Amino acid sequence: MTAIQEWASDFYKCFIKEDRYMLLVSGVGVTVKVSLLAVFIGIFIGMLIALCNLSKRKSIRFIGGVYTDIIRGTPSVTQLMIIYFVVFATVDLDKWIIAAIAFGINSGAYVSEIIRAGIMSVDHGQTEAGRSLGLNAFQTMTRIVIPQAVKNIFPALCNEFIVLIKETAIVGYVGLMDIQKAGDFIKSATFIAFMPLIGTAVIYYVLIKLLTLLLRRIEKILRKSDVR
Amino acid sequence: MIKVKNLHKKFNDLNVLNGIDEHISPGEVVVVIGPSGSGKSTFLRCLNLLEDVTEGEIYVDDQMINTPNVNINEVRQKMGMVFQQFNLFPHLTIMENITLAPVLLKKMTKEQAEKRGLELLRRVNLEEKAPAYPAQLSGGQKQRVAIARALAMNPEIMLFDEPTSALDPEMVGEVLDVMKDLAKSGMTMVIVTHEMGFAREVASRVLFVDQGVIMESGTPEDVFNNPKNERTKLFLSKVL
Repeated sequence: MTAIQEWASDFYKCFIKEDRYMLLVSGVGVTVKVSLLAVFIGIFIGMLIALCNLSKRKSIRFIGGVYTDIIRGTPSVTQLMIIYFVVFATVDLDKWIIAAIAFGINSGAYVSEIIRAGIMSVDHGQTEAGRSLGLNAFQTMTRIVIPQAVKNIFPALCNEFIVLIKETAIVGYVGLMDIQKAGDFIKSATFIAFMPLIGTAVIYYVLIKLLTLLLRRIEKILRKSDVR
Repeated sequence: MIKVKNLHKKFNDLNVLNGIDEHISPGEVVVVIGPSGSGKSTFLRCLNLLEDVTEGEIYVDDQMINTPNVNINEVRQKMGMVFQQFNLFPHLTIMENITLAPVLLKKMTKEQAEKRGLELLRRVNLEEKAPAYPAQLSGGQKQRVAIARALAMNPEIMLFDEPTSALDPEMVGEVLDVMKDLAKSGMTMVIVTHEMGFAREVASRVLFVDQGVIMESGTPEDVFNNPKNERTKLFLSKVL
């Protein structure tokens, strides 16, 4: 058998036979679902923690500090397993939602630092201008500071989103069949390592490439008030 | 209109204001001069509590404002402020810069605010810039917009914190012209500036501030031509 024939036969066994490609397709679905929900949870938690960290009250800053500290100080696999097997052990929720919550909690710690930096990057004169017009602190934050901060933090937030997608490759630990787990499953079923693992890598790569292109477009729209 | 009693301001251990007493009446144009670091900007910023006051009392329309039970946001709506660095909102168009506060604070509908915005932009000669973004404007234009933005809230008093100090020399005139018009229209104004010619021409009263106190107060003729205080004489000999 020539190399090409061997290659084709491996390809057939890994992806076509017994509709194995469907494993990967549904794996993409799981990865996307978990990542998307986790991003929203992460941004929400990140905002809360960022506001805690920027608070004038020491006790509130303490809460934010402890949260960031614990999340950054432990591996995400450990966090995922604790959330799944301990915190949500007796709660009847879809697996993927629990996983998304775990990743969201994890991502929130990193997002909070990004948001905090973004808010601090907006010149203090902006806050003063808003307050001098009679806006209250909340109105100044939501109408003047945050819209400018979003523009500044968008690239860093995109990066966090991409890291998060790749991070979800560990959901196999709690029995979810994402892209990584699907590739792994095919490897075990066929005893072929090359095809499914390279396939897995290619799928992640394409997914993230598409996302990057999309986010670039959004960033361009956000920058329309800059004249550079 | 504004009464200041025994105003003190400390930044950590640094005494910036050391007991200022001042009374500003409606229609007055008070120009505050003094060397840098004298506390003149801090004094101005205390008037609308952008700096919190260490000691003393500030009254606006006979209401003491530096107490916790006062809604400072409502007080600030009566006091427009113009900054050295313009502080236009870069993510909003010129028109949105002007209409944001009146609409958000429900002083006007969006239509009313835009009509008023156009009037104000006409007044500062920038009508055609309404749809532009701040980054597309020159410094002088930005500062004129900042004045229009402050006026959109229909304030009773306008505070100017070195409004021309960040401008290229050829743009100073256009901003001062707008301020002169405003003074002529009877607006109460407190202006911190280094533009002595402007002070002489427009001020109804000049305050010379040094070392955190008002060293001398009087008409421009008195202060510029006949300074009584030694420090005033020294300062004026350097800047005139």
